[in-house]
Amino acid sequence: MRTHLVRVVSLAIAGLAAAAAAADDSGLKLPEGFSAVVVQEGQGTARHLAIRANGDIYLAGRNGLIAMRDTNGDFKADVVTPFGDVKGTGILIHENHLYVSDDVGVYRYALDPNELVPKGSRETVVDGFPRERQHADKTFALDAKGTLYVNVGAPSNSCQEKDRQEGSLGMNPCPILEKYGGVWVFDGNKLNQTPADGRRFSTGIRNAVAIEWNPGANGLYAVIHGRDSLDTLFPALYTAEDNATRQAEEFHRLTDGGNYGWPYTFWDNKVGHRVLAPEYGGDGKKAPEAGKYPDPLVAFPAHWAPNDLLFYSGKNFPAKYQGGAIIAFHGSWNRAPEPQAGYKVVFQPMKNGKPNGAYEVLADGFAGEIADNNPRNARYRPVGLAVAPDGALYVSDSQKGRVWRISHGGK
Amino acid sequence: MNVSGTPQRALRILPVLLLAAGAALAADAATSAAADERPAGQRLYGRHCLSCHQADGGGVPNMQPAIAGGTWVTGDARALALFVMTGGFDSAQRKESDNSNVMPAFGHLPDEDLAAILTYIREKFGKGASAVTPAQVAEARSGIPAPSGQ
Repeated sequence: MRTHLVRVVSLAIAGLAAAAAAADDSGLKLPEGFSAVVVQEGQGTARHLAIRANGDIYLAGRNGLIAMRDTNGDFKADVVTPFGDVKGTGILIHENHLYVSDDVGVYRYALDPNELVPKGSRETVVDGFPRERQHADKTFALDAKGTLYVNVGAPSNSCQEKDRQEGSLGMNPCPILEKYGGVWVFDGNKLNQTPADGRRFSTGIRNAVAIEWNPGANGLYAVIHGRDSLDTLFPALYTAEDNATRQAEEFHRLTDGGNYGWPYTFWDNKVGHRVLAPEYGGDGKKAPEAGKYPDPLVAFPAHWAPNDLLFYSGKNFPAKYQGGAIIAFHGSWNRAPEPQAGYKVVFQPMKNGKPNGAYEVLADGFAGEIADNNPRNARYRPVGLAVAPDGALYVSDSQKGRVWRISHGGK
Repeated sequence: MNVSGTPQRALRILPVLLLAAGAALAADAATSAAADERPAGQRLYGRHCLSCHQADGGGVPNMQPAIAGGTWVTGDARALALFVMTGGFDSAQRKESDNSNVMPAFGHLPDEDLAAILTYIREKFGKGASAVTPAQVAEARSGIPAPSGQ
């Protein structure tokens, strides 16, 4: 009898401990009905993440790949195992393979049933992209058939003859667009491809770290990092405040053959239309030839740095989230001396693949007070997104490698 | 405003409010007149350098390096002037850098402006490194080969 009582009390205590562990310890600001827990922290500079059907979490990072598993249902990662030798940002699961990318290629590992860490060696899907420093992450998307769409960012701010040099004019036509500044398409099921095996799908894209296939709309979408430094490069045309606010982070549906206007143009949030870039004859107002480049689906504020995108189809969030876009904004640096901004996860309602109402903040409070207005001092910076099989949203952070689980209704 | 407090408490709060209002006014004034009242070095740093290296000289991780306390800023004034005038496109340091963005050249700025910027960053971020004069900048500039064809 006494033994039984001890066992019951122990179970009750264990239950309380689990409940306490699942309480919101996130420090995040979330809409009514949502809560979050910290899954894991401390794996360095994390980037994107992917979640398998059994709930295992795979985190890409500048220090390498990490596999994580929650073994007792409290949503905390109990097993955390570094593996592999790919240091980069992109990571997705497709047909029992874990696809990952770095600055020069896309690779994959076969996932074994119930094994957390892939046992086999990595396979090369495509590699040999030129090694660059700027906008070098080869983030990617995969459609249901395994078509691989690779973001090949432009190693340049605005294709000036001298990158980021005051007054330097744009090269015309911009030669960078031949090999960069667009999305290239490959067969994601085929191994050992080189960039030459790919085909340019769309162009005029400065850097689309946030790129995603939307199965609900059967289309490819991206939120593009807009240009920097309007004021320091062309001080006669733009003030520091202009630079901090005018050039949109553009959300587009990318189509085969589409051209989204970089470096010749940008979407100007102040005048509310696309303008010619100052490197290409822009005067702060002049629009490019009508109809040459598409308008963005949504023009987000300047410099927020969209670093991941997903389309929500999970079971946990309320109905209005179905099919909508969730975007992780890493936060600005080039707004200085104006206050930095971004550093949040945003929800953009969508219907039939098109925006359906204004965007709203889904998760905020990552950065805390940013001392000296320097992004280095942000507490956390959201960088990656994934949805678990139970519909919860997972968010990764690039400052300390923290991962949160955000869910609705206390589930 | 809370009206239930005692008179003593109100008296205690009042100076705080006045101070806050005064500070707000001062901040407004500072904002509107700021541009031209800051020392030239600070103003020019804000105009040309701050968005990349940030107000605290701390840089942006993986993008632009910190300059605060770094050997470029604390070290030889001539080497610093040369680097800022020519930028980092061809520098040996560039090849070893983990930062994604390249340092543009600022050789188009006059000697006086460059001297003011360099003096400012050495004073603020340079652990007491000496001021830089326009003559020192001019001397460093004389060592830069002219572009070919000129």
